[in-house]
Amino acid sequence: MKKFIFSSITVLFLISTGSVMAEEISVGSVTPLTGKLAVYGEGFQQAMLLAADEINAAGGIKGNNLKIVFEDNNSTSKGSVSALRKLITIDKLPLIFGPASSSNFLAVCPIAQDNKTILLAAESAAAAITKCGSYVFRVFPSDLLQGVGVAELTSSLGYKEVVLTYVNNDWGVGLAEVFKAEFTASGGKIIDELPHGEGKTDYRSEILRMKRHNPKAIVNLTYIKEGATILKQAYETGLNVQWLMGSASKSPKLIDLAGKASEGVIGTYPTFSQETPQYKTFKAGWEKKYPGKKTPVFGEYNYDMVKLTALALESAASDSSDDIRAALIKVSQGYIGTTGDKSFDESGDVNASYGRWTIKDGSITDYK
Amino acid sequence: MTSYYAQLLVNGIIAGSIYAMFAVGLAMVYGVFKFINFSHGELITWGAYLTWMFSSSPFSLPVYISVVPALLITVGIGLAQDRFVYRPLRQSNPIAILIASIGLSYMLRNGIRLCWGSDLQTFDLPLSTGILLSGIYITKIQILMVLSALLFFSILYFLLTCTLLGKSLRAVSDNIELSAIMGINMTKVTWTIWVLASVFAGTGGILLALDTSLDPMMGMNSLIKAFAAVLLGGAGNVWGALIGGLFIGIAENISVAFISPDYKDFISYGLIFLLLLFKPRGFFGIAGGVR
Repeated sequence: MKKFIFSSITVLFLISTGSVMAEEISVGSVTPLTGKLAVYGEGFQQAMLLAADEINAAGGIKGNNLKIVFEDNNSTSKGSVSALRKLITIDKLPLIFGPASSSNFLAVCPIAQDNKTILLAAESAAAAITKCGSYVFRVFPSDLLQGVGVAELTSSLGYKEVVLTYVNNDWGVGLAEVFKAEFTASGGKIIDELPHGEGKTDYRSEILRMKRHNPKAIVNLTYIKEGATILKQAYETGLNVQWLMGSASKSPKLIDLAGKASEGVIGTYPTFSQETPQYKTFKAGWEKKYPGKKTPVFGEYNYDMVKLTALALESAASDSSDDIRAALIKVSQGYIGTTGDKSFDESGDVNASYGRWTIKDGSITDYK
Repeated sequence: MTSYYAQLLVNGIIAGSIYAMFAVGLAMVYGVFKFINFSHGELITWGAYLTWMFSSSPFSLPVYISVVPALLITVGIGLAQDRFVYRPLRQSNPIAILIASIGLSYMLRNGIRLCWGSDLQTFDLPLSTGILLSGIYITKIQILMVLSALLFFSILYFLLTCTLLGKSLRAVSDNIELSAIMGINMTKVTWTIWVLASVFAGTGGILLALDTSLDPMMGMNSLIKAFAAVLLGGAGNVWGALIGGLFIGIAENISVAFISPDYKDFISYGLIFLLLLFKPRGFFGIAGGVR
């Protein structure tokens, strides 16, 4: 009896996988469905599934249904590595959507590159991802673009001389380099630049040095906690300047921590228009599939990633990863998705447009 | 430009007085029990977090009142450290005590994480510009820091020199066995040391948190500075700890004029390294003993 059950299960399994292979084109996704990023992971998954449903309803890819094989990574780098290895070696998928959070993504990108598997990111911003390799793409703008954004903001506000400070890690240093190159090229002058440590609670010495030059504006490329502490302690030491910041500090938490010291900060952030027909289609589709649910953080980017992938699979000469890669680059040129122009450049990055934010009366608003 | 250096000096004195508060407990424990208490830093953190807890909901006490229960509990933790970990190990290998204190430090630190999470917290104090005194900014909290250090060290001086308890404490640190034979109440002395260490550390932690913010690593980071201060002043030397603390605070802050501020911690680490190599007994040259 036992033997019978076992063999029937095996037969059923064979039939089911057989039928899957005939009608489906599968891609993988390493998604945080458990762990600390699970609150976001569910939204990513829903946005991806929405895109897949729309593709399949419109006839699928070359007549086959698109299927996304989700693997949980427990929100960790270790989990991401084993999830990706499974999708590459067991499921043998040529294209995989990478995990959220830059550190998790950076942990897996060399594996994908070595295995010639295409890896796409929808929410990882670290500049280092640009150098991951030729099989790695992202539909989310790199942090490096922010350096340019802040430089433009500084010049457009009429500040010719600024003090530059940045968080002393790969992200901050990279961002500062881009800012410097861009700002000095446009005729700006950096009076003094100094890194500040990540996660410190006392930045008074740093502030004192910034103050020494009596600057009118200080460009502060940092995170929320560090940003808030600096703003607060600068206020206490009577340093009264225009603070210019990036998008990593744009959070209500900054106002919670720094209080009135955060008033008047101006910054940039990557944005896209919610008035385009593409966005309206997404929004309508979302409300139909998930009535009453708010669109998730980065949901639009996940949606675009799946849509673009489907186009590439449709036009690829074969299902080999090299053909898909070539097709992906080709279809992306001039592709306008929910989040704007998704044309990949030679390093697999996209461009972005930047909005401006400011803090007024204790809340974040658009700077006009 | 003179105001720039004057401000650096003032910042140094402020930081130094807090380092001294942290160092004194470490020096006293070493003076009597002859071991480095790695979990000393956690008394700093617990003092700060407990005050923060009592001053936020559901207690919502004013900060100056929440200091009282917070310090009482911190002292309780200090005494419990001795009662449950260090006393049973007193006769054992010094390495065992050292490892136990490192373990205890991890336990207490993760206890903080468990209760309040790893995120940065701040006291919800109204933000105000510091007082401007001839070109130097100083906040009210910073004035309080220096005054508290002055007050605490004065009380300690009086206690050690003018009371019988203080004299017995010094006797015990000179020779623990002989003092016991002479009829000095060892329990009382032990308790005094842990109470003093906890109160100094806890108060320093509260002031530091009021001045900056709270995070579970604050004690550990301050402990390195306290180590440097103790090494400079000579292990077991209370007054050495005071001078050592001030020296490190000032040296670190003045260095900012020459090196990038982000690397100012380099001063205390460098000092620890050099002292251990060339002057392991500190500049006051006294090995052991609470003086």
